[in-house]
Amino acid sequence: MNKLILKLALISLVVFFSSCGGDSDPGYEFMPNMYRSPSLETYGENTINGMNAQLPVEGTIARGHLLTFNYDGTLEGYLAAGNTTVNPIQDNKKTRTEGKALYGMFCEHCHGETGTGDGTIKHAIYSAVPHYNDEKLLRRAGVPMNELKPGHMFHAITYGLNAMGPHASQVTEEERWLIVNYVQQELQNSGK
Amino acid sequence: MFLRLKNINLRPKIEYTFNMIRIHNFKSCILLIAVFFTFSFQSLAQPDGAQIFKANCTACHTIGGGRLIGPDLAGVTKKRKADWLKQWINSSSDFIASGDADAIAIYEEYNKVAMTSFYFSDEDMEALLGYLETPPVEEVKVAVATDATQDEGMKSSTKMMIVALVLLILVFLLTSIKNSLKESLGQETKTVSETVIAQTNAFLANNINKLFVGLFIMIVVLKFVFDTLMGIGVTTSYQPEQPITFSHKIHAGDNSIDCNYCHSSARSSKTSGIPSANVCMNCHTNITSGTATGTAEIQKIYDAIGYDPETRTYIEGYEQKPIEWIKVHNLPDLAYFNHSQHVTVGGLECQQCHGNMEEKTVGQVATMQELNNISFNKENGIEFEHATLTMGFCVDCHRQSEVKMDGNDYYTSMHEKMKEKYAGEKITVEKMGGLECGKCHY
Ligand code: HEC
Ligand code: HEC
Ligand code: HEC
Ligand code: HEC
Ligand code: HEC
Ligand code: HEC
Ligand code: HEC
Repeated sequence: MNKLILKLALISLVVFFSSCGGDSDPGYEFMPNMYRSPSLETYGENTINGMNAQLPVEGTIARGHLLTFNYDGTLEGYLAAGNTTVNPIQDNKKTRTEGKALYGMFCEHCHGETGTGDGTIKHAIYSAVPHYNDEKLLRRAGVPMNELKPGHMFHAITYGLNAMGPHASQVTEEERWLIVNYVQQELQNSGK
Repeated sequence: MFLRLKNINLRPKIEYTFNMIRIHNFKSCILLIAVFFTFSFQSLAQPDGAQIFKANCTACHTIGGGRLIGPDLAGVTKKRKADWLKQWINSSSDFIASGDADAIAIYEEYNKVAMTSFYFSDEDMEALLGYLETPPVEEVKVAVATDATQDEGMKSSTKMMIVALVLLILVFLLTSIKNSLKESLGQETKTVSETVIAQTNAFLANNINKLFVGLFIMIVVLKFVFDTLMGIGVTTSYQPEQPITFSHKIHAGDNSIDCNYCHSSARSSKTSGIPSANVCMNCHTNITSGTATGTAEIQKIYDAIGYDPETRTYIEGYEQKPIEWIKVHNLPDLAYFNHSQHVTVGGLECQQCHGNMEEKTVGQVATMQELNNISFNKENGIEFEHATLTMGFCVDCHRQSEVKMDGNDYYTSMHEKMKEKYAGEKITVEKMGGLECGKCHY
């Protein structure tokens, strides 16, 4: 009986110690100054103006990011964009595959794989996303979804519309045109 | 709506009675069939107001859930006449243009946001108005107590603690039982500590036992020292608490949002990037509460960016503050790792290095075992033998991983030469020079 108690006590001690150490601890670092160096890291902090993630200085243009879409976020800007812009992307197999991949990353969970608005987001708000091939309901532009022009779509991605947020920070201008091309060629008139 | 609901309730009941009655009463059976058919026929022909509302309006309106893009529609049928509503829903823009004072007033109130023109058929419109008139009784939500973190099950360490506690309690219980037994016999009693000390002394009196215990302690200590040394700089399964209990399971898992939607720079740059608050706001301008944590966690996004979920507007002049996420993966500065090289050029899946993130809450360094179980790694014959984020981890994969040769214009001539040189062999990253120190160290 005494031995049994001793064994139990020992086991419980061992178990108790082996339970130490959790996942919220990064462990030890050899030469931590190589892991946490004074150089400025992406998204780190700095002592000059706080965050490393900064907007470009006003009036400057980052290389390869010349903005060619100069319409503002208002309804007038939207209508003007629809009337005047053309899609600079050439439609071919390669650009369509690229557009499809991007559409899968940025739009599919709301607009659905086939553009019928049956995305994977389960929240009620996103159960009423318009269909790309809808030909009845008139949109802001006075035309239904299947007649939206490239400029309209580009404007919608850039500035958003109501429950759809603006996606300008996630996709570059070129990528936006690729998506628009894919939507126009494959989804807008699908099922016809 | 009411009719339809009744139908749904009645149908199984009728079917049930139908089966029961058939044996006894053939006549009433036929009657029942007739009733059954008329009911189901009706339910097919009747347009469903709830369905119409869900498919067209929920993006902008709630019924009794507060303002979204447009006003809360609870009680709107009392506020407006049916005719007014019909005109408004069919084409609010035409209605406003026609100069209706109420229409213009509400349009102005909502900052001239245009509502879609619907032009419903008369039956659809009736069904919809019927639905607006008698919206569903507020569903009593059963409080879902599963916290986002509890979902993953208890941590193994907590489980061990509990086992240890149970064992300890057992020890004291047994001792007290023994003592009370002894007491009733009039024998001498001992407490737990007395027993333990006496037993240990008796055990150690033997020299061989002493040697074994000494050896045992030495091995344990050495193993501990060795493990600690080997563990230096290894951050496997590290998962710190984050300022917002953001759940990858809810977003990337349940709602299947692509990893690149939030980590949008992985395709094109060295870092994968943590989404800024504006990305969260793409959805959370409207989704103001979650099933697991209510408004508590989502409110933290609003506190950072300055958004008022009541009026659904950004607070002007608000001093925005960053959300300070804690960095989980961290290579030392002596090593260079680039996401676009792997994700875009190499065509690898995030899961190959990060494990099943879509099943976890906040960011975690995946363990080696987890990575070896990922289907992409299995299919490509990649098996890791070194802990994640060590140099061995990179080298393991570079030795086994094949280079994606097609669709890569940048290296066309290089790839042609390699195909010639290694004809018939698997061209791994190693053969391309992926193990040269200078590729990863600077
Ligand atoms: C968060 C969910 C969500 C995502 C992601 C999303 N959308 Fe939308 N989108 C919506 C909703 C909701 C509407 C309807 C807005 C309204 O009518 O109020 C909409 C409307 C649109 C429209 C119609 C705009 C108009 O002028 O009438 C277009 C075009 C569109 N989306 C394209 C896209 C593209 C392209 C992407 C991918 C870059 C995308 N959306 C991503 C939810 C989303
Ligand atoms: C694109 C978003 C949007 C969609 C989709 C939408 N509405 Fe609206 N609705 C609004 C806005 C915004 C207003 C406020 C007036 C305005 O600015 O046009 C409004 C106003 C209304 C009003 C007037 C409320 C009042 O208090 O007078 C009714 C009724 C209404 N909507 C019904 C519907 C119905 C029914 C549907 C679905 C068939 C629907 N709406 C779909 C945005 C929308
Ligand atoms: C594409 C849409 C989308 C984006 C972008 C998004 N969320 Fe969510 N979020 C959701 C949905 C859908 C839910 C589930 C709501 C529910 O439980 O009903 C949710 C729920 C949540 C919850 C509450 C979880 C719960 O169940 O209590 C938190 C906290 C949250 N999100 C934080 C964030 C943060 C932080 C970001 C930005 C990094 C973000 N979300 C970006 C769609 C999104
Ligand atoms: C070849 C392995 C590998 C693949 C594939 C990979 N990652 Fe990473 N990831 C890493 C490593 C290694 C780090 C640590 C980088 C550092 O500290 O410099 C990291 C870091 C991160 C970080 C932290 C922020 C940063 O960039 O340092 C995020 C977020 C991330 N990865 C997301 C992703 C996503 C999303 C994908 C898929 C599109 C992906 N990763 C694909 C290995 C990989
Ligand atoms: C809705 C936005 C969203 C989606 C979708 C998303 N993430 Fe994240 N991810 C975040 C946020 C916010 C963080 C920072 C907080 C944290 O560490 O959990 C993060 C952190 C991470 C980290 C840890 C970063 C670090 O500090 O080292 C990794 C790795 C990661 N995500 C991988 C993925 C992978 C793989 C997927 C796809 C299965 C994915 N994420 C999908 C928002 C998202
Ligand atoms: C899951 C497998 C995998 C892991 C893990 C991995 N890599 Fe790679 N890596 C690849 C593949 C595949 C390529 C080839 C891409 C290409 O086609 O150029 C590559 C290429 C590279 C290159 C460019 C090599 C060259 O010759 O141009 C560098 C640098 C690199 N990896 C660094 C790292 C570092 C640092 C780590 C560890 C933190 C790492 N990799 C982990 C699969 C992996
Ligand atoms: C595929 C990329 C890769 C290649 C190739 C590579 N290394 Fe490394 N090396 C790493 C990474 C990543 C680390 C950091 C590991 C960690 O943080 O634990 C590292 C760490 C080291 C360290 C430890 C430094 C320290 O302070 O902890 C040494 C030494 C080292 N490498 C030497 C070499 C030599 C010598 C070669 C050439 C034979 C080489 N490496 C090739 C990725 C690489």
